[in-house]
Amino acid sequence: MSLASPLIGAVQLALVVLGGPLLLGLMRVVRSRLEGRDGPPVSQPWRDIAKLARKQRTRPSESSWIFAAAPLVLVATAATVAVLAPLVTLAPPLAGSTDFIAVIFVLLVGSVALALAALDTGTAFGGMGASRALTIGALVEPALLVAVLALSLPLHSTNLIAIVANGSRHVSTLLGPSHLLALGSFIVVILAESGRLPVDNPSTHLELTMIYEALILEYSGPDLAAVTLGESMRLAIWLGLFVNLVAPVGIAANAHALAVVVGLVALSLKVAVVGIAIAIFEVTTAKLRLFRLPELLAGGFILALLGVVTGAVMR
Amino acid sequence: MTTFANALGSAAVLVTVGAVVVLWRHRLRSIVAALAVQGVALAATAALLGVHEHDRGLLVVAGLVLLVKAAVIPGLLARVVAATPGARESDPLVNVPASLVVAGLLTLGAFVAARPIVALVGGPTGKLVPLGLATVLIGFFTMVARRRAMSQVVGLLLVDNGIALVAFLVTSGVPVIVELGSTLDVLFGVVVLRVLLARLSALGFSDLDQLRSLHD
Amino acid sequence: MIVLALVAGLGVFATLAALASRAVRVQLVAGLLGLVEVVAGAAAIHVLATNRSIAGHTASLVPFTGVTIDLTPLGALFTLTTAVVALAATIHWVGYRRHAMSSVSASSAFALFVTSLLLVPAAGDVVTFLVLWEVMALSSLVLVAHDHAKRDEARQAAWWYGAMTQGGAALITLGLVVLAGHAANPGFSAIAASASHLPAATRGAVFLALFIGFGAKAGLVPAHVWLPRAHAEAPAPASALLSGAMVNLGIYGIVLARTLLGVGATWWWLVAGFFGVISALYGSLYAATSADLKRLLAYSTSDNMGLVVIGLSASGLFAARNPAASSLALVATLFLVTAHALYKSTLFLGAGSVQYATHERDLDRLGGLARTMPITTAVVVIGALAVAALPPLNGFGAEWLVVQSLVHGLTNADPVTTVTTALFVAALALTGGLTIVAFVKAVGVGFLGRARSESAERAREVPVSMRIAPAITAAACVIVGVAPGLAITAIARASDAVAPNRSGLAATLSGFHLEALRGAVDPLALALGAVAATLVVAGLRRAGGPRAGAKLRAFEPWGSGRAVTSARMQYTATSFAEPLQRVFDDVLAPQHDLDVSHALESRYYVERVAYASANDDIVERRLYRPVLALAAVLGVRARALANGSVHRYLAYGFVVLVIALVVVS
Repeated sequence: MSLASPLIGAVQLALVVLGGPLLLGLMRVVRSRLEGRDGPPVSQPWRDIAKLARKQRTRPSESSWIFAAAPLVLVATAATVAVLAPLVTLAPPLAGSTDFIAVIFVLLVGSVALALAALDTGTAFGGMGASRALTIGALVEPALLVAVLALSLPLHSTNLIAIVANGSRHVSTLLGPSHLLALGSFIVVILAESGRLPVDNPSTHLELTMIYEALILEYSGPDLAAVTLGESMRLAIWLGLFVNLVAPVGIAANAHALAVVVGLVALSLKVAVVGIAIAIFEVTTAKLRLFRLPELLAGGFILALLGVVTGAVMR
Repeated sequence: MTTFANALGSAAVLVTVGAVVVLWRHRLRSIVAALAVQGVALAATAALLGVHEHDRGLLVVAGLVLLVKAAVIPGLLARVVAATPGARESDPLVNVPASLVVAGLLTLGAFVAARPIVALVGGPTGKLVPLGLATVLIGFFTMVARRRAMSQVVGLLLVDNGIALVAFLVTSGVPVIVELGSTLDVLFGVVVLRVLLARLSALGFSDLDQLRSLHD
Repeated sequence: MIVLALVAGLGVFATLAALASRAVRVQLVAGLLGLVEVVAGAAAIHVLATNRSIAGHTASLVPFTGVTIDLTPLGALFTLTTAVVALAATIHWVGYRRHAMSSVSASSAFALFVTSLLLVPAAGDVVTFLVLWEVMALSSLVLVAHDHAKRDEARQAAWWYGAMTQGGAALITLGLVVLAGHAANPGFSAIAASASHLPAATRGAVFLALFIGFGAKAGLVPAHVWLPRAHAEAPAPASALLSGAMVNLGIYGIVLARTLLGVGATWWWLVAGFFGVISALYGSLYAATSADLKRLLAYSTSDNMGLVVIGLSASGLFAARNPAASSLALVATLFLVTAHALYKSTLFLGAGSVQYATHERDLDRLGGLARTMPITTAVVVIGALAVAALPPLNGFGAEWLVVQSLVHGLTNADPVTTVTTALFVAALALTGGLTIVAFVKAVGVGFLGRARSESAERAREVPVSMRIAPAITAAACVIVGVAPGLAITAIARASDAVAPNRSGLAATLSGFHLEALRGAVDPLALALGAVAATLVVAGLRRAGGPRAGAKLRAFEPWGSGRAVTSARMQYTATSFAEPLQRVFDDVLAPQHDLDVSHALESRYYVERVAYASANDDIVERRLYRPVLALAAVLGVRARALANGSVHRYLAYGFVVLVIALVVVS
């Protein structure tokens, strides 16, 4: 039985929406256990979201419509990508125009909206978070785009689905030096984009060291629920894309219902494994000072650059 | 692209990445570890070529490289580093992001400069020669841009590893005797340098720029 | 031909209409100019729609060569872009006149400037081109110097601009005259036919001269120094034209050079690419770190022109081995030029409205405008998102096309091209990131949050004409972004005039489709999807829980436990850019001055801390200042030559005559 492509989009969206907070919860549990604590249950982020969603909405006294709109934009952009990206299957809606660069830039819209909202609060912390987040974002960009260029080499196409499909058909592509280097730099990019250690400490409570938390400091109630949901969806999307680029095992090659179910399970397992790995890494590492970050990001960039030239020359 | 070309490419790239990591990291321990990984990658390159070309001599060379460049030399250096735990290249002459950008530009330059060699050698091996050249250049740059005596030694070894990579790729197999000779030379050099380093740190020098004070 | 004569005639008429009485002057000139813009735009649309040039020649007007007009599809694209931008600028001017730019000289210069901008791309021979080019340069100089009586900065800006533009014009003249000298007549088509017979060295030298000359007009680093001064000092409608139309003509010139000279050697495009990369990075870095709204926009112009030149360079580099990628790069570049014209004029007009309402340009003295000037803010937000290349606006389409051409260009590329392409992508990406920082800062600090000064607090929404004008260009940004079909068709025709278009870029109504490349993107679909999702989430948020229906509660934001927070506790533009400034410390080399005076009693008590930081243009400081200082010293020395004796002066003349005779014989 074949599924219609809108249905597939809905399946992917449902997985990302439901799974994103669970992924966050899973990573917290792993961290807690490794640090010798019991930690909250895996479902804790969902409980938080449900509680927050029932509260009254608030806003800083001198903010504008931007502050109110940003959480919506964050969730909406993440949802758009969740529908279109090759996460569970290679046949999501609009497969012909699922471009890697477009995906990146749609997610970027969410980041920009949040940064504008932070400045709209009219506080020092909002500006601090926005400034830091965007500085990191600007420095991540070269690594990210050059890595995409390296990944696009085998087909000379930046169509995300074509790239993933090519990897699942020709396993030798996955072992090529340019692919490996690009993914190496992709790891750096993901850590930075999703605000994990060593770039940002997601569980900090000290305003002066915050990046991402300072950005959303003024949100509460349903808006904070939306921001938390959106951010966990983004993490799930980044990790989902990563695992499908590293090992597109189990991804549904067509819209057959059984294949989609297999893809659903495979993606969940792979993302969970990577999430646990990141959590373990986070326990063993310390946050880098903000001004040491360019070193990390420049390293990611050089890996991607090496990937491009090697890949282009070896062909 | 065949699996052989891919594997060979990955191994050769790892040699260059090892050189990049030397510039990337601050802790001397990590720098020495990167050197060891580079030695393994170099040995893997030789081994892959040996298997592909059915050249037993090259396999022996690979073993030799693995022994000396991945184990003995890093081991020697690690012992020096262990003497001062937590030693760091904390304030390099050229800061890390700039060094990395320079390394990237040197790599790009190597790809442009090595065009004649690539054309001469041809095939999947020839296309990787620029990576060896890039490693040599990054090694030289390491010596220029880093302060610690240890980093200078590592820079020198990077140059040597780069030359070895070029040699493997260009000739598809160095005669065992030649490789043996050059490897032992390097080993000898490292032993001497190690003694020198130990002496220097005993005298309280770890930053080469401090040696300038001897001039006065 | 008659149409363009009509444009010129009406333009001159509008220039003269500036002599009308003060009460009706601006309205009269603006009305006539609007007519000029509409007619020129219609002519350009006609050329693009029929794909046939408007050409003609008249022997009168200019002795010896006459005037040749040849509006090709390429020129028509630039004329059309200029017409849209100029229409918006003219409308804006009607309201802006109460703030500035209502004098006779400014009105006539504005009319002349607009007319020449519209006509330069229609010039069909060297003489016509150079005459129009000079009219454009001089009339814009008058506008840059508009505030010269009151502000020293305006005088400075005029000097820098004048020197740069005339230096550039000299090189352009040299290059074009060399070409014309070898051709049968000074018409561009004759030159294009004969230029291939020139020796390679001559062609290379001519290319360099034209590239530098036109590059200075486009604001490429290091010839960009006039740009942040002139754009910031010129009144808003004029700076919108400078940035949205005039710098484009610098790019038109470089494309023209390629049309005349052919693709030429690889090194031409490596040189061009080098300056493109430098301009893009340098411009975006200074845009991200400057705290003056109009200077920020000006640096961003430099950055965008750098990206455009990167695209042109890619097109030149790919031409030999990969014509399809070369075509695509050219189309992408032209798309970027038009996109830039639209969003940058939106932003400059918006900045003008802010200046009108607050008399401020300094971001640190703005803020809180989203509530007092909602329409202007919304328009500026659209412009800022477009320049930040975010979907679904036109900047995204441009960036996507450029990246696609670079991806495609790696097929069958030699190592030099590969390496250059990789660097181009890296430069493009870093520039993109820095641009986002710059414009989030511009919007976030300048328009959002709390008012940072009394003048910002008192701001009221501007007159209706000043709200409409940037809204026109902002709407164009959105339309070209989500439905690029028509724009792509027009641009494909324009690029056909340079080199046969093999890009394979199919223009559907809603998106960009590259069949051969398996590359496609649908901004419209993305936009619709995201908007639908936003509405759904908004509905869910509303239906959240029992108290969701309650009124949105406003509260005092968190101030680390302080009961009251003030507007001065907000992050400033300078502090916003501080991390970046620190990361790029070695490049920017900002000057800090920290002065701590301690209390007399103890060193541990600080009485006063004074901190000053200056982030002036480092190219200006390190490159131009020493040269200017040297010139000043030489000038003083040279005074010894002129001691007032008439006999000595006559002797100089005599000696020169003798030398000339010896050299000639």
